[in-house]
Amino acid sequence: MHRFILSRLLSAIPVLFVVSLVTFLIMWLVPGDVASQIAGPDASAEELAAIRDRLRLDRPMYEQALVWYANLFQGDLGQSYLLNRSVVDAVLERLPVTLSLTAMSLLLAILFGVVLGVVSATNHNNWIDQATMTGALLGLSLPDFWFGLVLIFFFAVELGWFPTGGYVPFTEDPAGWLRSMALPACTLALTQMGVIARMVRSGMLEQLGQDYVRTAKAKGLPRRLVLFKHALRNALIPVITLIGVMTGILLGGAVVIEVVYSLPGVGRLIIGAIQNRDYPIVQGGLLLTAAVFVFVNIAVDILYTVIDPRVRNVR
Amino acid sequence: MKSCHESRRPTPLRRLLIAAAALAGIAAAPAGAQTEGGELVLAQGANPPSLDAMTSSSESARNINMNIFESLVTIDENVNPIPMLAKSIEASDDLMTYVFPLREGVKFHNGDEMTAADVKASLERYREFGATRGMLDKVAEIEITGEYEITFRMSEATPTFIEGFASPRAPAVIIPEEEAAKGANEIEIIGTGPYRFVEFVPDSHVTLEKFADYTANEDFDGPTGFGGNKTAYLDKATYRIIPEAGARIAALEAGEVQWADQLPVPAAKRLMSDPEVTVFEARQWAFLTLIMNWKLPPTDDIDFRRAVLYAIEPEEVMAIATEGFYDLNHGWQYPDRTYNAGDIGKEIYQVADIDKAKEFLGQSSYDGEEFQILTDPNYGEHSRAAVVIAEQLKGIGINAVVKQLDWATVLKIRLTDEDWNGWTLMQGLEPFLGPYGIAAKMTGEQPHQRGTDPVLDDGYNRLITGATVEDRQQAFADIQTAVYDLVPQIKIGDVGRMQAGSARLKGFKPFRAPRLNDVWLE
Repeated sequence: MHRFILSRLLSAIPVLFVVSLVTFLIMWLVPGDVASQIAGPDASAEELAAIRDRLRLDRPMYEQALVWYANLFQGDLGQSYLLNRSVVDAVLERLPVTLSLTAMSLLLAILFGVVLGVVSATNHNNWIDQATMTGALLGLSLPDFWFGLVLIFFFAVELGWFPTGGYVPFTEDPAGWLRSMALPACTLALTQMGVIARMVRSGMLEQLGQDYVRTAKAKGLPRRLVLFKHALRNALIPVITLIGVMTGILLGGAVVIEVVYSLPGVGRLIIGAIQNRDYPIVQGGLLLTAAVFVFVNIAVDILYTVIDPRVRNVR
Repeated sequence: MKSCHESRRPTPLRRLLIAAAALAGIAAAPAGAQTEGGELVLAQGANPPSLDAMTSSSESARNINMNIFESLVTIDENVNPIPMLAKSIEASDDLMTYVFPLREGVKFHNGDEMTAADVKASLERYREFGATRGMLDKVAEIEITGEYEITFRMSEATPTFIEGFASPRAPAVIIPEEEAAKGANEIEIIGTGPYRFVEFVPDSHVTLEKFADYTANEDFDGPTGFGGNKTAYLDKATYRIIPEAGARIAALEAGEVQWADQLPVPAAKRLMSDPEVTVFEARQWAFLTLIMNWKLPPTDDIDFRRAVLYAIEPEEVMAIATEGFYDLNHGWQYPDRTYNAGDIGKEIYQVADIDKAKEFLGQSSYDGEEFQILTDPNYGEHSRAAVVIAEQLKGIGINAVVKQLDWATVLKIRLTDEDWNGWTLMQGLEPFLGPYGIAAKMTGEQPHQRGTDPVLDDGYNRLITGATVEDRQQAFADIQTAVYDLVPQIKIGDVGRMQAGSARLKGFKPFRAPRLNDVWLE
């Protein structure tokens, strides 16, 4: 087991190196730089040159790359050009927002997605199945920015139950935090719930047709035991992979939701940095995001071996 | 030093500034009972790229900074220069010396009193990091001539110097001397304004609070423009960064914010029937323009450019680009302004003349090349205008192509001679501040159109050096004539800006940035 974990961790290093290199090259190739953003559309060539010189943007690419990697090995991801803080600080101060959104939306999505998937599978081809899957498809298909605005209109403007946007830190006001996260998490959960419900349903249907389920039923095991201890456990294996991928993506930031609800999350940080050509934030932020993604996937692999010992034995 | 300046007789410029200032102050003086206290929450779409006011010319920064910082001179309600931290502006007859006696007892937010040393250090820093540092190009030396007096020695007489120096674009604000020694974006946010900085959480909010020791300028009877006798009634102001326009409106309707900027026109019209909301129409917000690249075919050909000018139907472009909130205006100044050049170009502007456009196209060397219109999606007006213009030009046989790229890329490309022929751009502060900014962008080393012309250069020189207003008006009229002849840029129309506030918000008047002074919540 330890060797397995170690080998997975080591395999992350080349992945992260490639991510950092590709990010660096892409940002170098994209036209425009932060100097134009700082100076505005009417800046003269001299003003732009002065800003580029100050930020060392006029140095050759290899020199900038070497400096960046040298700093990286010392744990320094650099300083944002625009935010007046280090990249690590900029990402860390956004992390509570992103973690809150990820955790809450995943919790809702898993809870409702699994329940709906099981209900749908156990009512295969009747009206409950049809209704559940139509709902899941609707959740998948509705544009999240539209659904977000609809929720804001009904629950914030009309009913006044929740704020229209913004983030309240948990440490400041736990109830305020919950209220500020409720609508964004529900909006985000809707799409994920649809995906999970469909996957659970198909997994359950597959498992329910297996011999071991038939045997369990023939042995007279209670229906609940057959469904939840045997069929669901096996049906969840691919769902765990899916949740792993979802977690990775969400930790990288749910940009659209963050914009609609004015949440200062990691996604908005990186998108804003790309638009403004704040290279250190883009490079550092993407590297950290990629690292989170890789490590979440490693965690999923490890979880796999716990749930399904065959995976570990094969290795 | 003091006696020396007291013996100096007031120049016509000085007298004019003081008189205009007093009048403007009276005009803008608030009336009625005001309510003290409370928190005003404002919603704007973008983060301030920097709160180091000197270094950024961005609107989202100005919205906040103009309430934290103050400069020696600023603009009044009618965009005339007025003293702010300066007690007065005393220009020598030959305009080679400007003396600025400072207001005494003005406190920074750190509690220190402002002196000439702070002013000199701030302005020297502005020369290094100021986003529009060119405004000080003609200042040869900044000299401390008293504890509360600063003197500019000019390298060249420039009658319009004070207008430029008063610009709020990237204002030459005064900060403590020790902060002025720091690099760009490295300072503590300390000014002399009625509100002091508390915190900035990017993508979330900026918080300001009332500066209890604010030193109001009692030379004025009331507030005016960014200056005058300002009073802070609110205890606190929070700027929330809400990028999505629908969410800004929702926050306003839910009562979470009491002022919102950049509202879509249809939504603003809907809000007009809401008794809980006041909609503010800032009609003269920006010029929508199409800038030409004189260096790249086919727009290097004057006849081709004239063909484009005659082919554009401005009303159609404006109606679609601005969602219906616009004014048709051929002028390169707003109609009610001092430098408005009358009917010059009006006949060409009013309606498209397709026959004439085709005639010019026939005279040109155009051979079906692409006419690349550079635009961006950040400003809907830019991209919508580009699409409509392209369709209109296709109507006369021009192979118009819309090239939509992100804003940073557009800013990069427009500084080159390649890859673009036309560029849709809203110009906001330039026309607001008068003729100089608009004209400056058509001349000099970096004109928008990439090429220069002696007629435009001559007009600009006469504009900034003209001894009288009449001389300068004539110079600007000549520039406007040349613009309709040489076509460095095409004026499409005047764009408005919709803002809205809670009905509880009192005293608010739209200006180039929301002013927190002299507004209150009932």
